[in-house]
Amino acid sequence: MNKIIDAIACKNLPPRDIKNANIVNIWALIWAATLALNSYLSEFDWFSSTLPTLSALVIHATIGIAMILAYKRFLKQLDELERKIQLDALALSVGLTIVGFSSYSILEKAAMVPDLKPYHLIVVLALTYSVGIIFGRIRYR
Amino acid sequence: MKNRLRVLRAEREWTQADLASKLDVSRQTINAIEKEKYDPSLPLAFKAARLFEMPIESIFSDEVS
Repeated sequence: MNKIIDAIACKNLPPRDIKNANIVNIWALIWAATLALNSYLSEFDWFSSTLPTLSALVIHATIGIAMILAYKRFLKQLDELERKIQLDALALSVGLTIVGFSSYSILEKAAMVPDLKPYHLIVVLALTYSVGIIFGRIRYR
Repeated sequence: MKNRLRVLRAEREWTQADLASKLDVSRQTINAIEKEKYDPSLPLAFKAARLFEMPIESIFSDEVS
């Protein structure tokens, strides 16, 4: 259990990497908040005209791009073993999500399962990415 | 890839954290290299060679463990 807690807490990473990771986390939280807010506002016909829709799109996309740039900077400056762990986790996450969703779509077309929503994709990506990082950190301990 | 990092570090009475600090990597990276679970990048291997003032092939060999 301690192994898993240590893996989640990314103990002993250099302070620079922890600082960069926190910047990425803050951008990711803001990005997720704008996504949730847009979803909430759309329930009340907030996006019935073009201007609010375009504004929401631009704000959300701009924050998303800032998050990607922060993550790129984080990866570039990251400790090399941790970078390998992150990239392996990304590969696992993207691979599992593509295979999982393509398989699910077969069942969906046969009307055997409920329709997928876009947020399902984000949740699956985030979960598989997190699991990949924890496994990677335990593997190289 | 095999390496003599643990021996060279012990000769100098450095901890893994000391060596990590000198090579600007995490202690986990040093630990994983010493346990031969992870092969360092070429720049890191050269950095280690400069730190120990030895040819790179005296520290790392391509022999499979």
